[in-house]
Order: sequence, then C-alpha cells, then structure tokens
Amino acid sequence: MIELTINDKKITVEKGTTILQAALKNGIKIPNLCYDKRLSPYGACRLCVVEVEGQTRLFASCSSLAENGMVVKTDTPKLRKIRQTVLELMLVHHPLDCPVCDKAGECNLQDLTYEYGKTETRFIRHRKESPPDVRGPLVELSSNRCILCGKCVRICDEHQGRGALGLIGRGFPTVVQPAFGEILECDYCGQCIDICPTGALLGKPSKFKARAWFLEEKDTICPFCGCGCTLTLGIREGEILRSRGKEDNGISEGNLCGRGRFGFDYIYSENRLKTPLIRKNGELVPASWDEALVYISDNLRYIMTAHGSSSISAIGSHRCTNEDNYMLQKFMRDVIGSDNIDSSAVFGYALVEKAWEMAFGENRHKIKLKSPFGKEVIFILESDLSITHPVFALNILRAKKEGSHLIVADSRETKLTRHGSQWLRIKPGTGAALLNGIMKIIIDKGLFDRQMVSSRYFRNLEAVLKDYTPQAVCRITGLNEEELITAAEAYVRAKSRMLSLSISVSENTKGLDTILAATNLVNLLNDSPDTLQIPAEYCNTQGAYQMGVRPISHQLSAISYQPEGKDTLEMLYNEDSAIHALYIMGDDPVITFPDSTKIINRLRALDFLVVQDIALTETAKLAHVVLPASSWAEKDGTFTNAEGITQKVCKVVAPTGQSMPDWQIIRNLALRMGKDIGVRNLENIQKEINSSFSYQLSAISYQPCFNPVNYTSAEEPDKEYPLTMVIRDVLQHSGSMSTRSKALDLVVSEALLEINEEDAKRQGILDNSHVKVSSRHGTVYLKARISDEVHEGNVFVSTHFPHARINNLLYPPSNGLSALCTVKVEAVKHP
Amino acid sequence: MERFRANLMLCAGTGCVASGATKVRAALEKELKKRGLKEEITVVLTGCNGYCAQGPVMSVLPDEIFYQSLTVEEVPKLVEEHFLKGRPYEKLMFKEPEKKLAIPLMKDIPFFKHQVLRVLRNKGLIDPEKIEEYIARDGYQAAAKALTQMTSEEVIKVIKDSGLRGRGGAGFPTGLKWEFASKVQSKVKYMLCNGDEGDPGAFMDRSVMEADPHAVIEGMIIGAKAIEAHNGYIYVRAEYPLAVKRLQMAIEQCYDAGLLGKNILDSGFDFDLEIYQGAGAFVCGEETALMRSIEGKRGMPRPRPPFPAHKGLWDKPSVLNNVETLAQIPLIILNGSGWYRSLGTEKSSGTKVFALTGAVNNIGLIEVPMGTPLRTIIYDIGGGIKKGRKFKAVQMGGPSGGCIPESLLDLPVTYEDIVKTGAIMGSGGMVVMDDNNCMVSIAKFFLEFTADESCGKCVPCRVGTRILLDMLADITEGRGKEDDIETLQDLSRDIITSSLCGLGQTAPNPILTTIRYFMDEYESHISQKWCKAGVCRDLCTFFIDEELCKGCGACLRACPSKAIIGEKKKPHKIIQEVCVYCRTCYETCKFNSIKILPAGAHEPKHMLVETKT
Ligand SMILES: Cc1cc2nc3c(=O)[nH]c(=O)nc-3n(C[C@H](O)[C@H](O)[C@H](O)COP(=O)(O)O)c2cc1C
Ligand code: SF4
Ligand code: SF4
Ligand code: SF4
Ligand code: FES
Repeated sequence: MIELTINDKKITVEKGTTILQAALKNGIKIPNLCYDKRLSPYGACRLCVVEVEGQTRLFASCSSLAENGMVVKTDTPKLRKIRQTVLELMLVHHPLDCPVCDKAGECNLQDLTYEYGKTETRFIRHRKESPPDVRGPLVELSSNRCILCGKCVRICDEHQGRGALGLIGRGFPTVVQPAFGEILECDYCGQCIDICPTGALLGKPSKFKARAWFLEEKDTICPFCGCGCTLTLGIREGEILRSRGKEDNGISEGNLCGRGRFGFDYIYSENRLKTPLIRKNGELVPASWDEALVYISDNLRYIMTAHGSSSISAIGSHRCTNEDNYMLQKFMRDVIGSDNIDSSAVFGYALVEKAWEMAFGENRHKIKLKSPFGKEVIFILESDLSITHPVFALNILRAKKEGSHLIVADSRETKLTRHGSQWLRIKPGTGAALLNGIMKIIIDKGLFDRQMVSSRYFRNLEAVLKDYTPQAVCRITGLNEEELITAAEAYVRAKSRMLSLSISVSENTKGLDTILAATNLVNLLNDSPDTLQIPAEYCNTQGAYQMGVRPISHQLSAISYQPEGKDTLEMLYNEDSAIHALYIMGDDPVITFPDSTKIINRLRALDFLVVQDIALTETAKLAHVVLPASSWAEKDGTFTNAEGITQKVCKVVAPTGQSMPDWQIIRNLALRMGKDIGVRNLENIQKEINSSFSYQLSAISYQPCFNPVNYTSAEEPDKEYPLTMVIRDVLQHSGSMSTRSKALDLVVSEALLEINEEDAKRQGILDNSHVKVSSRHGTVYLKARISDEVHEGNVFVSTHFPHARINNLLYPPSNGLSALCTVKVEAVKHP
Repeated sequence: MERFRANLMLCAGTGCVASGATKVRAALEKELKKRGLKEEITVVLTGCNGYCAQGPVMSVLPDEIFYQSLTVEEVPKLVEEHFLKGRPYEKLMFKEPEKKLAIPLMKDIPFFKHQVLRVLRNKGLIDPEKIEEYIARDGYQAAAKALTQMTSEEVIKVIKDSGLRGRGGAGFPTGLKWEFASKVQSKVKYMLCNGDEGDPGAFMDRSVMEADPHAVIEGMIIGAKAIEAHNGYIYVRAEYPLAVKRLQMAIEQCYDAGLLGKNILDSGFDFDLEIYQGAGAFVCGEETALMRSIEGKRGMPRPRPPFPAHKGLWDKPSVLNNVETLAQIPLIILNGSGWYRSLGTEKSSGTKVFALTGAVNNIGLIEVPMGTPLRTIIYDIGGGIKKGRKFKAVQMGGPSGGCIPESLLDLPVTYEDIVKTGAIMGSGGMVVMDDNNCMVSIAKFFLEFTADESCGKCVPCRVGTRILLDMLADITEGRGKEDDIETLQDLSRDIITSSLCGLGQTAPNPILTTIRYFMDEYESHISQKWCKAGVCRDLCTFFIDEELCKGCGACLRACPSKAIIGEKKKPHKIIQEVCVYCRTCYETCKFNSIKILPAGAHEPKHMLVETKT
C-alpha cells in the first residue's frame, strides 16, 4: 500500500495507482480530458497536471504513479494558470458553436472552460482547416470540434479491438479520421460517442432532437443479449431519444454495443400491435380486450374438455421479464394444469443445464463477465462472442492485452481470431472432435489429473478417445498436427484456464455433444466447472428458465432434468404430439427456429393459436388471437442475465396503444377463466417468486462424471451441394426483434450470404448480387457478400431477417441441435 | 595496411564527396597507375575527416601529411612531387593565416591542434567497410574484455565511474541508465541505439556511423552485456543511406567473425543486432516514440513513467543510447574510468563532438574536451568569423537549444554551464552567427521546424508552437504588437512546463534566449518596424550613405535586380522601387556605405545618425 497526501488529505491506495486515480477514488477532482480508466494513460491534454512537493516540474497525474510520502497539490495558482492556457489553446480551433451542438450541457470541454477559462483569448486568428465531417449511418464526426484527446481512437483500438479510427497527419494539422477509407465502417458500438469529451462525435439518430438539459435520464437493462448491460436512456416528452453508457454504471461499467445503444427504437416500429386482434373469416381484425380474452378463455376451456389439459401448451420468452414468464408458467400449471411449457432455451441454455447436470451434478450454470481476467489461457470454441455477447468479449480482449494467451478455434476470421494468440482454423462444426483430440493428447502425454481415473466413465472416455489420434482429428478439423499439439499443450500447461463458447438457436455448429466434450475436458484436468463459461443467450434466457418456463414437473421442488411436459421440440416438430392449442408469448418461432416450413404447417394444423407479442410477427400472422404486449421500456420488472444477476427493468415510457405488460394480460386471462391465481400486482409476483425459488441455489453435488461423445459428421458437401452453410448472428442484431429498429436497419438491413471470393468466382457471383441458395430442404434468395473472412467451402448467413426465411434451408432439429447443412449457391440471372 | 609504402586516406564523407572527392579519387588512381605506383601506394576512402570546410581533404600515412582543397587538375602534380620526387606538395597544404606559411602535418594545423579525438579516433584512419582495420586499431578488444573477463556489475561500475553522460541531448548518466535496466528481471530485454539525428544541420552521429560503424556496434555489445539484453536495434533515419549501408556491412562482418549472434567469442553470451530504418520524423528521436516506431506504430511519445528501463520496446526493459555515447564505451572499458575522467570536468567528463557550422571559417566536425571555452572553439578551431565580420551569437542544441551571446564566450562547454545560458548542450550542433543574422528570424527558423515536427499529441506543443510561430511571423512581417514580447515569453513558459515530451518542453528555448540576449532586436522589429540586420524584408530599406560611398561600382555590378545607379567615382543610389532586399549590395560594399534603415524610411540623413552609434 502507498500512503500519500493530496490537498492535505492523507490517502492510502494500492501500489500501481496513479495520482489521478488516487484522487478520484477519494473524491478529489482533477480536471482531465484524455483519461479513461479503460485505456492506457495517454498524457495529451495536460489538464491533469499537479504539483508535487519538492519537485520543480509538474506531474501529469493521469500517468504518474502515486508514491509513498508524496505530497500533492491539485489546485494552485500555478496549476490554474497552466490549465487556463491549455484550454485557451484548445479553443483556438474549437468553433464554440455550442448553441447548435448536442453536447452542450454535458460537454466536458464546455464545463472546464466555464470553470477555468478566461473570458477572452489571446489567440484568435490561428485556426486549422478541418477536413470534411465524417457522416456514417449512426456515428457522426465533426472534426472542427475535436480537441484530439485521442480517446475515441484508443477506445476503438485498445478496448473495442476494432481500430476503425485513426489520427491522421502530424502536428497542428492532425485530425481524427476513419482509419481506412473515407466512411466510417465499424462495429457501430458508439463507444467513441460516449467517450468523446466534446461534441465532435455524436449519435446520428438523436442529432438535433433535444438539448441535453431537456433530457430526463433513466437507467434500465438492455433488452438484447445475456450480458445485461445498463442503458441510460434519455427521454424527452415521453419518447426515448437516445441510450448511452455511463462510466462505472451497472455490471457493464459504461460499456455498450451497438444494439444496446441504437437498437431501442424497435419499440417505435410501425409494426407494433396496438389492440388485440381476432381472426374472423380468415383475417385478423381489431378487437377489444374483453372480446379477445373471452374468446381465448372459451376456446381454451373447450379444448381442455375435449382433449384434456395436456393438449394445451405454451412457449415463454427470453425477451419477457421474470414476472411475465413466472405468470405464464403459473397460468399453465395452475389454470390449465399442464407442464407443457418451454422456450427457445431448448436450443441453447437448456442444453447447457443438461450437460452441467450430467457432468458436474450441478444445475444452474452462470458465467462471470469478469472471468477472463487473470486467466493464463483463454480458449474460445467456434463462437463469435464479440457478436453474441459483446461486453463479455471486451473482457476477453482486455485479458488478452493483460497477458492471457488467447486460443480461438473458428472456421472464419472474427475479431477474436484477429486478436488471438493462436487461431485454429477448423472446419465448421468440428469443435467436439477438436476437444476429443485435445483430450487424447493430454491422456497420451499423461498430463491430466491422475485422480480423475477413478471418476465415473473415465474408461469409457479413454475408449472413445482411441479414435481421436492427432492424425484423425486433423483429418476432421483440417488443422495440422503441430498446431493441434501446441494448442493442447498451451491449454493444459496453463495454471489457470477459461474455456468458452456460445450456444443458441441462431447457430448451427455446436450442440449438446460439443458442450459435453467441453465438460469432459474440464473434468479431465480436474478443473472447477467455472472453467467453462457458456453465457445464456438473451436478456432473460436464464430468468425464464429459472421461472419454470420448461417442461419439468409442476412440483417445482424436483430439480432434476426430467421432462414431464412437452418441450418446444415436441410442440413444434412432432406431428403426433397431440397438441391442439398453443399459447406463444414473446417469441417468433417461424423466423427464429429451424425449418420454418415445418413449423408453419404445425401451427396451421392447431385448433387454436394465441400469440402475445409486441409486434405482428410472422408467427402472429398465423394466430387465431393476437394480444398486444407492452415492450421492455413500457413496463416494470426484472431480467436475469447470464451471470444469474437479477436486475430491474423500468417503465420509462407509456405503453403503446392498448398494449399491456405480459404478466397483466395473463392475470386478466386467468381471472376471465374463473381462476384467481392470487396475483394482484408486481409486488405479489416478486414475493411469490422469492419464496418459491429460494431452494434454487442449493446444488446437489455428485462426483464429476465423464460423458464421452463421438463427433458426428454433419452433412458432407458433395458435387450437388458443395458448400457448408454456417448460421451465425450479425453484430448489429439479436433475434428478429432488432430488425425492427430503424437505426440498426441502417447498418445491416438484409440477410447477406457471406461467401469466399474463390467460391463466388466459380459460380459467377458478384459482390452485392442476388443469389439463389438451396439445400436439400428448401430454397431462399439472398444477397451475396464476398468476404475474405470466410474460408473456401463455407458460407455464412444469419437468421435475423424475417423476409429471408433462412430457416427454410434447415432440417428440423434433432436433440435440440440444428445441424449444419450443405447448400449450393447460384447467381440469379436478371432478364 | 602495411603492405603499401603509403596510404592515401581520402575523405569520402558527405562534405568532401560534395566538393568532388569522387572525381579526385578517380584521378588519383589513374595517376598512380600511370606512374607505376599502383602496387606501392593505395587510396583508402575514409569517413568524414571533420575538416569539411577545406574539402576534399586527404592525409597521407604514415607521414601524416595533410592535403586540402584537392582538385582533379592538381592530382598529377601532387603525385609526381610527393610520391616520385619525395617532396611533399606545398601548394595543397594548409596555410597558416598570417604569414601564409604551409603547415604540412595534420596535428600542427590549428583546426586539429585543439581537438582530442576519442569518439572520432578512427576517422580518416581506417576504411570503415573493413572490420580488419577496426580490429587493427584495438577494435573489439573492449568487447572481448567485457564479455570474457568482466561481470555485468563491473561493466556498469566502470561506466558509472567514468561519469559518461548521454550525448543524445539530455545528458543522463549512462552507467545509471544501464544499472536501472540491469536490475529489472526479464528474459527479454533490448539494447537500442539512437541514430535518428533529427536536429537540422547536425551530422555528428551520421559521421560516426559512416566513419566508424564498428565502434557503435562494439558499444552496443558491451551495453547488451551490461543489461543482459540479447536483442538490439540500431535506429537510423532512412535519409542516411550510407550510414545504413556501412552499419549493415559491419553487422554482417560481425556475424561472420562471431562477434554477434550466438555465443559471442565463446563467452556464452548471445546478442542479435538489426537495423531499423526510421521514417525521419524528428520526434521519432524521442525515446518512447522511437520504440513505438520500431514496433511499427505511429511514432508518438508516451508519458513516462513507466521508463523504458522497465517498459520499453514491446513493453520489455530497454536501454536506448545515442550513437556518440556508444562509440565512447569501448575506450572506457579498455582504458578505465580514470583515463576517461582525465579530460573534462567533474560533472561533464570526457570529450564532446560538435558539428561546427555557420559564420566561422572552418566549418566541420570537431571533438574537444569538455570544458573547452566557446571562444577556443570558435576562434582557434573555427578560425574566427568569416570575412572578419563581427560575432553575434552561437546557437547550441538545435531546435531545443538557444543562442549564446558574445558576453558569454568564455564559458566552458559543459552540461551545467550551457544550461545556465538558457541553451542546452544538445547533441552537438553549434551554429555560429555574425551580425548578418536577425535573431528574431533565427528564432522563427527553429520554431518553423518544431511546429512542423510536433507530433500533435499534446495540446501545448501542438497548438502552442504554432501560435508562437505565427506571432514571430507577425513580428518579422511588421504586424508585431506592443505586448507580443510578454505574450511570447508567457506562452513559452507555459508550453515548457506543460508539454508531454522533450520536444515541446524545449521548443520555446530559441525564443526565450533570443529575447533574453537580444531584446532590442525584438523591440526594434515591433515598435520601429526595423530589422537592423536587413533580413526581414518587410522591415528594412537599403540606402547608400553618400558620404561614405566611393563610387567604386561594386554594388551596382552585384545587384541582381539592377536597382543601383550611379557614375564611377560618384555616390551611387538605390532605386527603392526596384530593390528586392537581397542584401547583395550590403555584403559587397567594402566601405560600409550601404545602410539598413526601417521599412519605408525616406530621410536617410536623419536615420544615419542613429545607425552610426
Ligand atoms: C524531440 C526529441 C528528439 C530527440 N532526438 C534524438 C536524436 O535524434 N538522437 C538522439 O540520440 N537522441 C535524441 N533525443 C534524446 C532521446 O530521447 C534519448 O534521450 C537519447 O537517445 C538517449 O541516449 P543517451 O542517453 O545516450 O543520450 C531526442 C529527444 C527528444 C525529446
Ligand atoms: S462506433 Fe465503436 S467501432 Fe465504430 S468507431 Fe466508434 S468505437 Fe470504433
Ligand atoms: S473526436 Fe472526441 S474523443 Fe475523438 S479525439 Fe476528438 S475530442 Fe477526443
Ligand atoms: S446487446 Fe448485450 S452487450 Fe450489447 S448493450 Fe445489450 S446487453 Fe450489452
Ligand atoms: S488526463 Fe492527464 S494528460 Fe489528459
């Protein structure tokens, strides 16, 4: 520990703390414009200078370490003078156009000038020519306002790992510009907007919408991925105008990705439902709430009597709050009397839970966003976490920067492969084989924990791994033996490890077998289950699962994964499942689940389909009754993120039309069905949740157990279907919900087929041209994008965009696994 | 070398090449062949001899006879006289200024007499492209000693005791720097050499790299041993192709000779050395920027701490030393710290190399013991001011330095004494100025350089230097205001105290020192709109003083603009409308009758009184 004195205050800080950090931690303000705790000290603005007793030179406090016995003064006439001069110099070419600048009112430069500045400047004439402004779809840069603190350049490069901005030129004419080309093509995370201390970088969607002092700011949780970042929403006259991250706020500590920052406007989509709709003569027509609820209750009651409770099932939502999901399952279990309730988790999080129970005897897997820190080796398996869980991935990048060895196995180039220490360029979907190969090497070299030999099924594992010699694994994965062995050794010899992957309905390269292979590796090295970090996909995937939105027995105390009711796969893909009615809350299976054709046929065959959603989704279009739900910003409640942390979501704006929070709709429906499930308001639900789930955290522990898996090869490319199609999210989107955001639509508005140049050439496909993509299962039309990030023989698509119907190409899932399929791609000839 | 009866050590430094050394060499070889002397006498091309002012120059070994101002035409005569008839050829020898007597021996020529050559010990004496010649002059003995007989601590102690301070500008004690880096535990460390030499007009380091590349490499090997580094880079600006070539050859020779690479001289010590060619930004000479630059990033300084000794190149402990610093190391190891300290002062030991340029008679590369008075350097070695003009100031330290006036000429050249004047020792640039120089313009010249070379990272330097420059431009163009001097000083001081790196922290020095010693010049520029040196075109008028003019017509003939009229033996006159302010007449007139008056002056008589006082 270091003891020093700042402005007569005795302060103790840890070794390695800078003077500025020491001061800030102790509530002492030192002006600064180029410091950010996420970035390495830069020392450019010179405002943070302080005086140190016994030293004649001034110290830049942002980059000087606190030392024992130091006596520091942060506000003396000498310092004020220097700061005045520095500000005076900054203002030489800052236009002082505050009256037309969105930043005014929350601008650091303005505030400091107000505090330190003189009312006149000695240097008026000397200005530089600024280059034209950079106008991107979401981020705008007005170079004349820039004071060259370099924060944007550094956050983008050092922290975001993107490097889209650069300092161009030297000396006085230096400017910030896109590092490559004239337009800013980047992640659109908007981190640079938040960090800019001036109005040089601004968000375009909110430009000229409101002066800062008219914005009311409210914190809530992001509605997209499982990270659970805190959004600070700026609201004016009942409308959300912007979203930003505030330093140190929430678990995301001020970081956001483009979805969280720009995607909130999906709630203002024209597609929003404003009234209930009932199908009459084949058409969905507006109806009153009363009408709709009566209609539903009559039909459900009829089906219950005709076919029994078990003919009714429901699908809950990773987008709805815990309270909404709790109410849905309570409705199913208490009012209908059925355990047929599930969600999209069957394609992702439920598999993780299942594997956890099989391998570690624990339920409820949670990640830690900070777990990458301090790990000697981080191994990422076929997952583009920078896209699925951007803020988690930032921590991986930071850990790498701080010295972790980052191994990334992936078939395509991603941000993580670019920053990785080793990139294992495997063929798509061969992760399980790779893991088996690594275990084989470990066992053969005797590098594992001997103790584990006595664990259950070790011998079986050994037996299965016999076939996974380096040669065999290299044949499957396409690696060479040396890189395989190097990676295996680096992984096993590390003193601390993290193995991470994502799994979700919108990917098709991993399944239960991949997760089990990963758990085997963890057990083989006698690592703690925490070594394996598989984040739950969406904002409330984990919460919905926990709330009982899964087909377990309604005696909730039984916690083993023993399905009692019918799961999503049964409901949507099994023609013989004897389901007559389905209640879908907040999900759009037609678009986001595999094999749309099959699902559409199933839904059409139902006697009764209720869809409750915020917008008229493709699934809703098939329903008998559609109920308008309030969006995440229009209701109170909680989300549970991938860390298992339950955070408050707030009502910040009024509901759209007649929409209501999902839980309220269900309460009303229950009442209409003559059953008072004892819930009046949100507090009631929350109390009930707290009491019924208090057992949740007590895990049964059994011995770690091996679950050997074999790699099952996917559909092999052949002459007719020569390309392997990989499904992956794109950065700006999340499920299909985000496609209703106008802002995000500006960046990526249609499903693109990413294809390697060689493959494209072979088929005569040009960049940005239309192509016909067919699998043995179906055909869709897409636009092609030629990308050198994609390997020959593979094509990449995403499932976000309703019109693209990518899922037509996919086979129905087996065992929760949406398998890789092969496709052919042809140029579309325009007449 | 012994094979030949005589070695003609012809300087092939940049200065002599510019004055025709290449042609002279061809002529010499042709002549020697013609006379059948090819087997007995050889021509060796050497690095800069230092006496650039008299180039091309050559010394004949072993008799040490020095020839200067060689021309192709004189070569046959020289060969005939000296090598056939055995009569050294006086015509091409240095002439003692007063009686014009020839001085045959190099060591007797005043330019060389006051110098002590340590860093430049091999200049003109060896062929820099041959490692054998370096070795023949005790080369690599110091490295062998350090690697096989000394511990790292012992090496560091000798260097510390010698009092050697970094010659790159800041004068930080080299031994101490090494000690810091040696104490940091790390498998990977780097030993780096700074051959960026960005000061305008400086060529000390280039000369050493060109004339004696092995001395630098040997210094690096010893430094690497001291800090336990196994990798090194020499950072050379790409504008020095000859230095790059010579160093590259030298490195290859070292690898072949087992002096670099694995297990050097069987000592078990490994050291790999590479050249990195810098893109030539001045700021890349700053240590942290230099390291960023080697890393392939934008060469911008970063705050220190962490100091390079802890986190340098690729965040590994690193030591960066200047070329001249390193070239001293082998001598200190061989001869000991006491020997090194025998020259110089307590706090500034040893010798220092300077590039002496400007208004002195003998411009060139010189090396003198620390503590030598400026006057000796300028008048004895430099041979005084050209054309008998009046000395005005000597600029030391380049763009980071300042101008020292006549009153301080007896100051000994040491780190401490120079700093007191407001200038700095710097890397060794020494520009002598006479009364033809306008000090405001001098300050402006350096500010143009620094404002242009500012990397643009920190505010005071990026914006501040530009504003200083703009204000100086205003003053020299007649737009100066009353309070400008105060503003200049005030802003200068703020820039010095608040800038991030050495560039900004020193950039205002030329302004502050010129204001300090030549305040009257600033004042006359601002309030009288008068540049008395006649340099600032907007602030002067040239007149011919009728009383002094003898009507010789020299100015009339010299004026490129035909602005002067007059009849022989009668006072001449300048037609103001045609005058282009080129100063030619002023420099031509032998009778001092051309006067420089303020801009727009109409009544010469009245003003003349003032100029005479
Ligand atoms: C703007 C700037 C430019 C510099 N340029 C050079 C240079 O060209 N050559 C050099 O040796 N040192 C230069 N230096 C000094 C170096 O930063 C460093 O102090 C020096 O190379 C260390 O070597 P020494 O201890 O042997 O002097 C420069 C410093 C600054 C601030
Ligand atoms: S939006 Fe994000 S990726 Fe784009 S320039 Fe800004 S920081 Fe970089
Ligand atoms: S745009 Fe903003 S963040 Fe970027 S350098 Fe300029 S002032 Fe700093
Ligand atoms: S989408 Fe995920 S990472 Fe992005 S802001 Fe929302 S919660 Fe954070
Ligand atoms: S905050 Fe320290 S220099 Fe900018």
